[in-house]
Amino acid sequence: MASNTISSTGLAVRQLGLFAFAAVAGLAALMWGPNLLANLTASASGANSAVDAANNAITVLLREEPPQLDSTRSTDQVSGVVLGHVMEGLLRYDENNALVPGMAESWRIDTEGALFQLREDARWSDGQPVTAHDFVFAWRLVLDPDNASEYAFILYPVKNAEAVNQGLLPGDALGVRALDDRTLEVDFERPIAFFDKLTAFSTYLPMRQDFYEAMNGGYGADADTMLYNGPFVIANWVHGQSLDMRRNLYYWNQERIRLDRINVGYVTSDANTSLNLFKDDKIVLTSLTPENLTNALEQRWQIHRFMDGSLFFLEFNHRPNRLTRNLNLRKALYLAQDPNELVYKVIKLPGYLPGASLFPIFLDGEQGKFRDEHPAPTHRMDLDAARRHLALAKAELDLEEFPPLVVLTGDNPVSNVQSEYFQAVFKKNLGLDIKIDRQIFKQRLAKMTSGDFDIVLAGWGPDYNDALTFGDLFASWNLNNRGRYSNPAYDEQVRIAQNALDGKTRMAAFAEIQRIVHEDVVIIPSYERGVAYVTHPRVQGILRRVVGADTDYTNAYIVPEG
Amino acid sequence: MAETAYSAEDFAPAPALASVQGISRPSLSYWQDAWLRLKANRRALFSLYIVVALLAFTLVGPFVWRLDPALQDLEQISQPPGADRNATIVEPYRPWNGDDAPTTASLRLVEPPNTQAVRLVWAPLPGADGYRLYRNIFPVGPERAFGLPLFETLDPTKRHFEDRLDLRPQTYFYSVVALDGQGRLTDAFETVAAEVRRVITVEEAQAMGLVEEGQALAPGDGIKLQAHPLGTDYLGRDMLARMMAGARVSLFIGLVAPLIFITFGVAYGAAAGFFGGWIDQALMRFSDFVVALPFLLFMILIRVISGVQPGESGIVPLVLAMVLLSWPATARLVRGQILQIREEGYISASRLLGAGAPYLVLRHMIPNTLGVILVTLTFAVPTAIFTEAFLSFIGMGVAPPTASWGSMCNEGIKTMLTHPHELIFPALFISITVLAFNLLGDGLRDALDARMRSTE
Repeated sequence: MASNTISSTGLAVRQLGLFAFAAVAGLAALMWGPNLLANLTASASGANSAVDAANNAITVLLREEPPQLDSTRSTDQVSGVVLGHVMEGLLRYDENNALVPGMAESWRIDTEGALFQLREDARWSDGQPVTAHDFVFAWRLVLDPDNASEYAFILYPVKNAEAVNQGLLPGDALGVRALDDRTLEVDFERPIAFFDKLTAFSTYLPMRQDFYEAMNGGYGADADTMLYNGPFVIANWVHGQSLDMRRNLYYWNQERIRLDRINVGYVTSDANTSLNLFKDDKIVLTSLTPENLTNALEQRWQIHRFMDGSLFFLEFNHRPNRLTRNLNLRKALYLAQDPNELVYKVIKLPGYLPGASLFPIFLDGEQGKFRDEHPAPTHRMDLDAARRHLALAKAELDLEEFPPLVVLTGDNPVSNVQSEYFQAVFKKNLGLDIKIDRQIFKQRLAKMTSGDFDIVLAGWGPDYNDALTFGDLFASWNLNNRGRYSNPAYDEQVRIAQNALDGKTRMAAFAEIQRIVHEDVVIIPSYERGVAYVTHPRVQGILRRVVGADTDYTNAYIVPEG
Repeated sequence: MAETAYSAEDFAPAPALASVQGISRPSLSYWQDAWLRLKANRRALFSLYIVVALLAFTLVGPFVWRLDPALQDLEQISQPPGADRNATIVEPYRPWNGDDAPTTASLRLVEPPNTQAVRLVWAPLPGADGYRLYRNIFPVGPERAFGLPLFETLDPTKRHFEDRLDLRPQTYFYSVVALDGQGRLTDAFETVAAEVRRVITVEEAQAMGLVEEGQALAPGDGIKLQAHPLGTDYLGRDMLARMMAGARVSLFIGLVAPLIFITFGVAYGAAAGFFGGWIDQALMRFSDFVVALPFLLFMILIRVISGVQPGESGIVPLVLAMVLLSWPATARLVRGQILQIREEGYISASRLLGAGAPYLVLRHMIPNTLGVILVTLTFAVPTAIFTEAFLSFIGMGVAPPTASWGSMCNEGIKTMLTHPHELIFPALFISITVLAFNLLGDGLRDALDARMRSTE
């Protein structure tokens, strides 16, 4: 009896031990198994690392799936990056950001119009030539009211474009003709100083009619429903996961392409994932956030910095019945904050520049840079003056106490920190209550359009390399003027800048616009955005661009080892 | 038939015998007994102390630590607890455009570096068509990792720079590297170390309330910055003050919501259990329906319906959503108890004596379920705190600048690797609170269970 008990206890112990062992072993298998498996498959193919020198390929990351690859309707930056690799317009920007021939080998632009001579060896990815008809078709498509392209306005310099877009004139009234297969003639609505720069923009890309119509509305939805005329083609596109770009064998300038393959292996907007992928040698470039800067320093990476040309600002709602229509209130808010403090102490990323003007520093002036020729107005935080203006505003608006102002903002880390900073600053310095209305991008845009805000944390990136891309932002007719600012003096200067060809007159108009924006406090400039990023040491020639595809890998190449 | 003879003595009351009837110990009521058993449970007792301490932290804390939780101390952003807070008084910042930059033979600092600005000038480097200036937190080694690029120019005559980016009191290593005509790095570079001192202007010190009445401060004087026992967050806000403010939100929701929905659940369950029949059927099927409603979806719906303006904290709709969706569990529990109690003998006796329905329910039934109800309450509190934290974490809860533990965790997780204290403290408080309430509930369940009543 006694021995029986002992043996059964022993059995229980043994069973327990066996169970414990099984549990530990199972856990260990669960933890290391997938990793081991991944390593095995990785070493087998070798294609999983950032740089694959054997196949002359690199792997990169995209922030999100390109939403629209139909160039006539594309508006966003990620689609712009992909289009910049697989398409080419009449002209393009080279590695020094100079305009160079693209599909057009020569061109002539005067006050009346432009004449482009297309190159003979320009080919689509199915081997057929790129003709002037393809541009005519594409531009008419952009302006077709049924196509509802949000960027149609960028074609408005072409004669009758606005009328065609509004459905007042038929599509063939558009001032663009194919004189023959290789000659494209454009009539202007009015003289324009920077049409050559516009032709490098993605909305001006060509599109072949027979292919587009064969796709039956599905153009750009998949790798094989697109035609390419750029240095790369999309060979394979797994939506939401990867996008494989290969060298375009029909591209006219083969010497320019030095990579055989650009593999978008990852699609994520998470900064930490991106950093870890870079650390694990899975991608060739990652941006850095303030949180992982120290980490990057400790890794002893070469950190690069780049200003993407976007300006961020507090935009006021100038609609009637809004408190922010009052100039003294706007002045009070302007004087009560300091963009230096925001950039240097709160955002704290290298590359950010405190905002001072509507016009970012990269814009060209007459000879040199616009901001060197026409310095931005100086701003000093002045609390006494701010409170005086606030008292005036209170009297003018006949208010006992200011109701809370609603600040509309996007839902991302920088906007969150920024809005909370402004909330505290305006409370501390002016005693104003601020309510933060945090919305996702689409919802924020809808609220901006309907005017459901007092102040919005907005931003604007350049569409083309001319000061007008910022200058006409607050013209009363501009739909992107979300605060509905309306000032005849401002509008007049915009018209001068649009119509004049002479650099001096135009720059004087922009200087005047800069002055009006400052004195009328149309906006409070916060910062010009910068990017801190690291690249793989063996990959050279990666370009960051202010205008056009950012990031541009078309010129990138792999440095031989050693 | 034999007759039994009874005498009068036989019917006399028996004498009271002290040895039999004497009560050796004082009589214990149900609650006294429960308290005794709770006291014996050291785990539960300790949890009770924690709960009391937490209430004191929330209610008394803000009167002791009077810092405004929304105040941003931009001089001390993301400071860990116990960081050095000595600073020197300096003149207010004056813009510097390098016009008065002295000529120099190498890269050097123009003025003693401080947290306002570090001003650098350098001499022409051989073959330079431009310069790029870097800053690092350790000396530049042979691998030439220069650190953060701060400035770049392709104008070789511009040889000065002012750094104001996020300067902290530590040693920085600045390098200036020559660029060629295309803006590429060349081999020529120079490095200088800058030991940055923390400084503050008199105005800033006054604004922060660091200067006492009648105290005159001159540049060069030392001063101690605002103390932050638990450190500061990403906007320099005091973590301790924010923890207290956050506790108020968390505990308010954690206590009020369960109190309301348990009261409702008890009334509902008691009605269903007492009346029985088709009333019971109807009520309980409705509660099944409520159980099936997805919480998050209804939380969002209720927020929308109750018209929470953007920028307002949705505390009321949050409580409302919890109350509307959490009561069925209590109702079921109480109904089950009442069904059982309804059949007990003392209920029938009370009925025979003419007791009405309200009297039966309030006097006999609910007090007998009180133990169960109390236990449910203590378990509901941590659940509610957790729900609030979760909703604030995903951004459905309080609006800034109001803090709650959940929203603080949400903010802290972004800087988890560099400034862990911003996540650890709120997470720790949530964990401890939830654990304390759970252990207390556990102890209460044991203590209030009549079947476990001491038999002595």
